[in-house]
Amino acid sequence: MKTKLWTGVAAAALLAAGAHGAAAQDSLTIGADVDAGTLDPRLARDTTAYRVANLISAGLVHLTPNLEAVPDLAESWETPDDTTVVFTLREGLTFSDGSPLTAEDVIYTFETILDESFNAPQRGLFTPIESLEAVDDRTVQFNLSAPYAPLFSYLDIGIVPSDYDGDMALEPVGAGPMVLDSWTRGSELVLTASDSYWAGAPEVDTLVVRVVGDNSARAQAFEAGDLDVIQSPLSPNDIQRFAADEAVGSEILAGLGVTYLNFNTTDPLLQDPRMRQALAMLVDQETIVNQIYEGVDQVANSIILPSSWAYDEAVQQPTFDMEGAMAMLDDLGWTDSDGDGIRDRDGTPLAIEIATHSEDPNRVQSVEFLQAMFQSAGIDASVRITDWPSFSSGYVQQGEHQVALLGWLRITDPDRLVYGQLTTGGGLNWGGYSNPEVDRLLEAGRTALDQDARADAYRRAATIIAEELPYYIISYQGYQLFYDPEALGEVEASPRGGFRGLIGMPG
Amino acid sequence: MTDYIIRRLLLFIPMAIGIVVVTFCLLLLIPGDPASVLLGQEATPEGIAALRRTLGLDDPWYVRLGGYFLNLLQGDMGRSIFQNAPVSEIIFDRLGATIELATVALVLAVAVGVTLGVLAANRQGGIIDTFTMLLAQIGISMPVYWLALLLMLAFAVHLGWLPAIGRGEPLPTALAMALTGNPAPLVDSLSHILLPAASLALNSAAIISRLVRTSMLEVLREDFVRTAAAKGIRRGPVIWRHALRNALLPVVSVIGLRFGALLGGAILTETIFAWPGLGQLTISAISQRDIPLIQGIVLTFALIYATVTLLVDLLYAAVDPRIRLR
Repeated sequence: MKTKLWTGVAAAALLAAGAHGAAAQDSLTIGADVDAGTLDPRLARDTTAYRVANLISAGLVHLTPNLEAVPDLAESWETPDDTTVVFTLREGLTFSDGSPLTAEDVIYTFETILDESFNAPQRGLFTPIESLEAVDDRTVQFNLSAPYAPLFSYLDIGIVPSDYDGDMALEPVGAGPMVLDSWTRGSELVLTASDSYWAGAPEVDTLVVRVVGDNSARAQAFEAGDLDVIQSPLSPNDIQRFAADEAVGSEILAGLGVTYLNFNTTDPLLQDPRMRQALAMLVDQETIVNQIYEGVDQVANSIILPSSWAYDEAVQQPTFDMEGAMAMLDDLGWTDSDGDGIRDRDGTPLAIEIATHSEDPNRVQSVEFLQAMFQSAGIDASVRITDWPSFSSGYVQQGEHQVALLGWLRITDPDRLVYGQLTTGGGLNWGGYSNPEVDRLLEAGRTALDQDARADAYRRAATIIAEELPYYIISYQGYQLFYDPEALGEVEASPRGGFRGLIGMPG
Repeated sequence: MTDYIIRRLLLFIPMAIGIVVVTFCLLLLIPGDPASVLLGQEATPEGIAALRRTLGLDDPWYVRLGGYFLNLLQGDMGRSIFQNAPVSEIIFDRLGATIELATVALVLAVAVGVTLGVLAANRQGGIIDTFTMLLAQIGISMPVYWLALLLMLAFAVHLGWLPAIGRGEPLPTALAMALTGNPAPLVDSLSHILLPAASLALNSAAIISRLVRTSMLEVLREDFVRTAAAKGIRRGPVIWRHALRNALLPVVSVIGLRFGALLGGAILTETIFAWPGLGQLTISAISQRDIPLIQGIVLTFALIYATVTLLVDLLYAAVDPRIRLR
């Protein structure tokens, strides 16, 4: 790292001048894998957009690295009954253009998100909000159609001004710790410290977010000193190398994503849960996690993330058991009666297609490995690999798949991985799974306000899911952050990959 | 001559129509639609259906294609679905970076390719010849993204001589600043462009060097070369002045074709070196299924390519007086 000497000199000069602050450098360059699609927090749909919008704007609450909701723009809140939440805003809040931030702006933000024609990607997370009222300038009341426990995990979404003339997507205005200085589409975003954030200005004056699409190129640019910070997604071998390098600062946490197999439960072959169990027993999680992902992820045992309050290690999906799988396939009547090495039943050979998308070489490799395991169990397994849009919207989301390997991210609440995905007729239930008992438990998990009751509902639902397997969770994704310790001061990494903990603010 | 140029320019019109129709059909055939990409993985089917209607994706194909042509006739390439800005503006903003990269790569490729080709032909089977042919073999078989990563690893990570990613000031601006006595931006711009241009150029340099070598070997056996030598002209002038001028003809025509290959290669090079040009834009537009933007980029690439081919044909006539353009 060529720049080290110079940043060292700069740091020494700062110290000599009696400068305070944890950040060693007043300018910071972060590498990102994609450009933001928009900077309107309500319309953000990619990681860079979330992270940058979370600097330009601020939400009612802030989510800590442990996903606890703490006051941000809201100073406090109370819940007079199960379906009402009343927020009190801090005094004297302003947007970066100087206009005051009031209850009207909060109402405007959520009403636009809920407006169907506005097409907010996260609209589904807020639909239990029935109406909003401004009690006074600093007090806003949320009326819910039913108790909705996960709400607070989503309220960090940025508040936008209700009377802004400019284009929020391109020239955003918010009440967050930084303001947008310039944006060169596809290559870099430059942010500068805001003087209007309620908690004061961040320690970093200038933040540059630079887009380097290729994972290896981003790692090399970090090594060459062109980037001060990089984070997931990175290739496993780069992660191993940086984690072992003492000159590199590293934060390796459990992430908020899973990699899983989506079984199409409406497929004639896969309708029977026992068939799905047999296939699940052919998934060698250890090899996928430790060899293909080189140990950067963690072997999963259920649909609840280990970082969640609802996690229970006693809930256990089937594990790798080649013989058990073969025995179960025999029991189901799939035997190799004609001696061609492929199991068959009533003259039909057992053929299964496993699909994933081409952008992630580790997923492609995992699917090819699964194909080999399926084949050695006598299944005529084929692989289907296409680019992400063809795979997701053109295939899995149409329910055309048999077995698909993909992931879910940003699971800030257990609800987010199960409700839309596994309730009967749910909008994201691409595999057509339906179980009235699971429906009831997931509804209970969403509406119970007592965390123990919620945890209990999710544990029971997870137990059924681990047996019936509409989803088979292969791994819990890890999150990695690497930084140049001489360029950064105190770092508070968050599994969501937010930037606030890098600019000297709570992560 | 003027007639010829006008006729060639008129041919652009059917070509553009063809390009638009072919791109449109390809986009119809690949699955995945911008509405669902735009709304993300957590979108509901109703939301996607509503957005498809808003974007006009539910209209029959002939309505969409016809509408696109109508707008194109008025010089309007439509709006990008994702960036919510006119396609022509987005492309124009990035065109300079790609043309700069491709041009520098082409100059590098021609300079290196011609020099090595001539030197190799001068002593067939000699050390330079063997070395050049080995280099050419490597250059032709090495994928550009692999070479790019290797160059970055060597010159940016290990040696630390050059920056790994990004672009400095545009070269013309930097050049103007250098002329007014401020050379720093020019040095910065050149240091940024060297690695991407070199990785982009190697393949073309390899092809050009092989072509020049073969063509030179042929010309060197011709009578007029022997005559020149018999008249007592030294080897150097014979090669560089007499033989090369004749050997360059096939090279000139291949340069036009190489420019097309360079534009294609720029898609990978730009992605790796975070070069803010059309190539980087192409990748993101395709992965987002941003149909108007993809159409616009393909059309722009095609027009650049057609223009370069036309220029090469004109150059051909200038280099070889035997050719008359009709």
